[in-house]
Amino acid sequence: MSFLCLSIGMFSCNEIKDIEKEPYLRWVGDIQFDEEIDNPDFKLCYTDNNVRQYFNFSKGVQYKGEKPAIDKYFLENYKPTESKQIGFLRIRFIVNCKGETGRFRLKGMGQDYQPMAFDKSITDQILSLSKKMDGWLPIEMEEMNNTPWDYYQYLIFKIDGGNIIEIMP
Amino acid sequence: MKLYLSFFFLAFSYNSFTQPNCNYFLNEGDTLKYEACLQTENAKGHYQFSKEYQIAMDKAIKIDPTFAYPYRAKSVAYLKSGDFIEWKRLIDLAVKYDPLGNLGYRASCRYQFFRDYGGTIVDIEELLRISNADIGHSANGNYHLQVVRALCYKALGRKQKAIDLIETQLQAEGYVIGIYDYIHLGVLYLENGDLSNAKLNFKKQQDYNDLAENHFYMSKVFKAENNLKKAKIELQKAVELYEIGYVMSDPYVHPVDKIFWSMIKVEQKSLN
Repeated sequence: MSFLCLSIGMFSCNEIKDIEKEPYLRWVGDIQFDEEIDNPDFKLCYTDNNVRQYFNFSKGVQYKGEKPAIDKYFLENYKPTESKQIGFLRIRFIVNCKGETGRFRLKGMGQDYQPMAFDKSITDQILSLSKKMDGWLPIEMEEMNNTPWDYYQYLIFKIDGGNIIEIMP
Repeated sequence: MKLYLSFFFLAFSYNSFTQPNCNYFLNEGDTLKYEACLQTENAKGHYQFSKEYQIAMDKAIKIDPTFAYPYRAKSVAYLKSGDFIEWKRLIDLAVKYDPLGNLGYRASCRYQFFRDYGGTIVDIEELLRISNADIGHSANGNYHLQVVRALCYKALGRKQKAIDLIETQLQAEGYVIGIYDYIHLGVLYLENGDLSNAKLNFKKQQDYNDLAENHFYMSKVFKAENNLKKAKIELQKAVELYEIGYVMSDPYVHPVDKIFWSMIKVEQKSLN
């Protein structure tokens, strides 16, 4: 590796090292069960290898009341904090074939797309509220006899000064 | 004469950005990139999220770390899974090694997936600075990048600049009209209180690509003109189109100016 880096010299060796150390699961973004943080009562309907992505069904985000219901839920329940942080907070989780959710994972970043730890007053609230959302709908695949599948979903919160400015997708 | 965007673009997905023609690199005498390019072909048939796909691209990067294509190819799965940090790291490398080929793509993804309005504008304006040709469309083909730029300015409160940008783009020689261009322009005029131009653009959208949204917003124009009879007729058309799925759509995110049932219900109540 050192020889390769020296011989080319046009790029950072870190770029290759970063790639090399990437541990791959079945799919990018897969979330394995962690007994220390995950609710053991949340069960997949199928196996980990059968969890799809929400967009695999080409139906967009499936939530009772659609996107405005998600916005309204957080608008009504999130309490703005005194934080001055600006950035994005992503919560990724699984919706099973019954519309139940579990395996929540948080990731935060600043405006520069670098990792950033948000104040607990923000993360705890958003995580807790996300876990209480009860309108996720199972997504059926017409090509497979309208069978509902487990799928990965995420929400990205744009945060500015302790307020939620925008929610995606 | 203006060309109209065909539904070809609807079939264009993030999965299908072009695999390079490896012989091009051979003909250019770049044997390293040629080898790396051949290596990327091993990803064929594998889902972009899969480890097989990612490893195939990693091997290509090892052969030629200055080859932009595998960085961008790898980045897509991170983008779609909401991993903004790893996506940005990878797409930045693609931009570093091929700015002309990737700046526009990065810009449109920043807008579409992260609503990063400021960052999107910076990328598009940098592309305008370095490019001598048309700067092209968003990754999903729905928008010309000038329209994306306009929607970002709108989000930052500069509505008149957004209107000017879209109007200028609509007049560009040989411009291919975007499938939602007239809706966005009409909504901008509506929000600025220019009902006449709003109506004009919703009518154009109806003639070109009739969706529930243009009728919904046309209904709002008639309501603002106090013509409740026509407002109800337009809203009913919006309902009918909504019910059969003729709406603004994107499998990944909610498009700006898209309408939802709850919005229709509110309008129905206000007209009764």
